[in-house]
Amino acid sequence: MMNKLIFGRYIPGDSFIHTMDPRAKLIASFYFIGIIFLANNWQTYAVLAVFTLFAIFLSKVNIRFFIRGIKPLIWLILFTVALQMLFTQGGEVYFDWGIFSITEYGVINGLFIFCRFVLIIFMSTLLTLTTPPLDLSDAIEYLLRPLKVVRFPVHEVSLMLSIALRFVPTLMDETEKIMNAQRARGVDFGEGNLIQKMKAVVPLLIPLFVSSFNRAEDLATAMEARGYQGGDGRTKYRVLHWHVKDTEAMIAFALLTVILIFVRS
Amino acid sequence: MDICFDQVDFTYQPNTPFEQRALFDLNMTIKDGSYTAIVGHTGSGKSTLLQHLNALVKPTKGTVTIGDRTITPETNNKNLKPIRKKVGIVFQFPEAQLFEETVAKDIAFGPKNFGVSEEAAAKLAAEMLGLVGLDPSYLERSPFELSGGQMRRVAIAGVLAMEPEVLVLDEPTAGLDPQGRKEMMEMFQHLHDERGMTIVLVTHLMDDVANYADHVIVLEKGKIVKAGTPQVVFNDINWLKEKQLGVPTASAFAEKLIAKGINFEQLPLTADELADALLKGSKKAGEDQ
Repeated sequence: MMNKLIFGRYIPGDSFIHTMDPRAKLIASFYFIGIIFLANNWQTYAVLAVFTLFAIFLSKVNIRFFIRGIKPLIWLILFTVALQMLFTQGGEVYFDWGIFSITEYGVINGLFIFCRFVLIIFMSTLLTLTTPPLDLSDAIEYLLRPLKVVRFPVHEVSLMLSIALRFVPTLMDETEKIMNAQRARGVDFGEGNLIQKMKAVVPLLIPLFVSSFNRAEDLATAMEARGYQGGDGRTKYRVLHWHVKDTEAMIAFALLTVILIFVRS
Repeated sequence: MDICFDQVDFTYQPNTPFEQRALFDLNMTIKDGSYTAIVGHTGSGKSTLLQHLNALVKPTKGTVTIGDRTITPETNNKNLKPIRKKVGIVFQFPEAQLFEETVAKDIAFGPKNFGVSEEAAAKLAAEMLGLVGLDPSYLERSPFELSGGQMRRVAIAGVLAMEPEVLVLDEPTAGLDPQGRKEMMEMFQHLHDERGMTIVLVTHLMDDVANYADHVIVLEKGKIVKAGTPQVVFNDINWLKEKQLGVPTASAFAEKLIAKGINFEQLPLTADELADALLKGSKKAGEDQ
C-alpha cells in the first residue's frame, strides 16, 4: 500500500542540491511556487521548465521518481484542467454544447494549469527527496523565529513537528503490522461496499490510537527523565550552515524572476 | 496440511529506489503435524517468511503451496480467507492487535470473520480463554485494562479461536516473565501433542528450540543455511558460535564437561537429556570400579 508513495520520502545522496542548506531549499521552494504565477505565456513556462529540469539534473535523482510523484495527483490535475477547458470563454470556439464550450483560450488555460501543477509538484518533490525530514523541521524552526515577537510558541511547534516527522515511519510500520495481524484474523481491507470498508478500518484505527497514546506517555516520561524542561536555555546539536552555494541558488532564483518579468506578456 | 516453498524469492518495493530483497531462492517444507522452529538473526528474513505462510504477501518469484492452494506471484488477492483460517499467525507483541470493548468480543472477532455464528463464537471465546490460562471472569472486561501478559494471552486466544490447523508463532514469549514464558510454551506443546496442531515457532531462544521443536530451519540473509532435526543443527557448536546463534544451555554445559574429559554418545540438547547421559555415565563408572 505504502509502496507507491514517493511523495515526502528522502533519497540519500551528496549532490549539489542534497548538500544545500535546508533553509535555502525551503525558501526557494516556496518562492518558486510564488513566481510560477508570473508565467503567462509559452516562453515563460519554457523558462521555468528548463530551470526545474536543471535543478532535477543537479540533484542526480532519477527523473522517473518525479514522474511517479505526479501519479497519485493525476486525477486532481486532470479534473482541474477539464474544468478550465470547459468553462473558460474567449477566442475561437471549437465545440459548443449548452453551458459547456471548448474554446481556444480554454485549451490554452488548461494546458497552462497542467504545466503549473507539474512544475510545482516537481519542485516540492525535489525538496522532499533531497532533504531529510529533520533538517526540514530545523529549517522551519529557524524561519519561524521572527514569530516569537507575537508570542507564537516556535519551540513547541518545532518540537512537535520533529517528533511527528520522526514517528511517521514508525507509525507506518505499526499500521502495516496491525493490518497484517487483522488480515490474519480474517479482515478484508478495501473490499465490499462503503459501509463494510469503513467497518473494516475500526480494528486498525483503535489499536493505532491506543498505541499512540501509550507511546506518547512513554516518550514524555523518557524526555522528562533526561532533563527536558521546555525550550528556554537549550543549546542546539544540529547547527545549520549557510554556504556560498546557497547564496548562488538564491541569486539564480532572483535571475529567474527577472527573466520571467521580461519574457511575460 | 503441508506448506511447501519452491524457489521462493521476495523483494520489498520492487522497481523503486527503496527496493530490498529479503528472500533468496527458498526451498523448504513444513510437514503436517511437525513442530518447526525458524531461527536466525534479526533481519534474516524470518518475519518476511512468516507472512508467506498464510498469503499475507505473495512471492515475487516461485511458488508457495499451502495445503491444496498454490500461491504464485500472479495469485489474485481474493478468496484467500480459507487459507487464513487454516494458518493462524500470532505476530510479535500480538497485544497490539486488541481493539474490541470486551475480551469476549475480541476473541470472537476472528471466528466471526470466518462465518462462525454469534453463539458458537462466544462459546469458542470462553473455551479459548480457559485454554490460555485466564479466568472466565475476564470475558466481560475491557482488554485495555489488563496487564501486558494478560493482553498477550487474550491476543493468542483470539488466534486460537479461529481453530487453525497450523499455528505460526513469532516470538510468542518475548517480554514475558519466566513463569509466563514456561506456561505459554507448555500450552503450545499441549496443542501440538493433543490436538495435532502443526506449529511454526520463530524464536531467539535456543533452549525453546531444543526443548520443543522437531525440525529447525536456520536463516541467514534471506537464505536457508541449515535445516534438519535439532540434533543435526546443534551438533556443531563451533558453527553455531560462528553464526552467533547461541547454543542451548545444556549443550553449552555439556561442552564444558567434554573439555574436562567426559564423553557423550550424542551431544545433549536439553537438561533432561544431559541428566540422563550423566546418570548413565556415572552408573557405568560405578560398575567399572
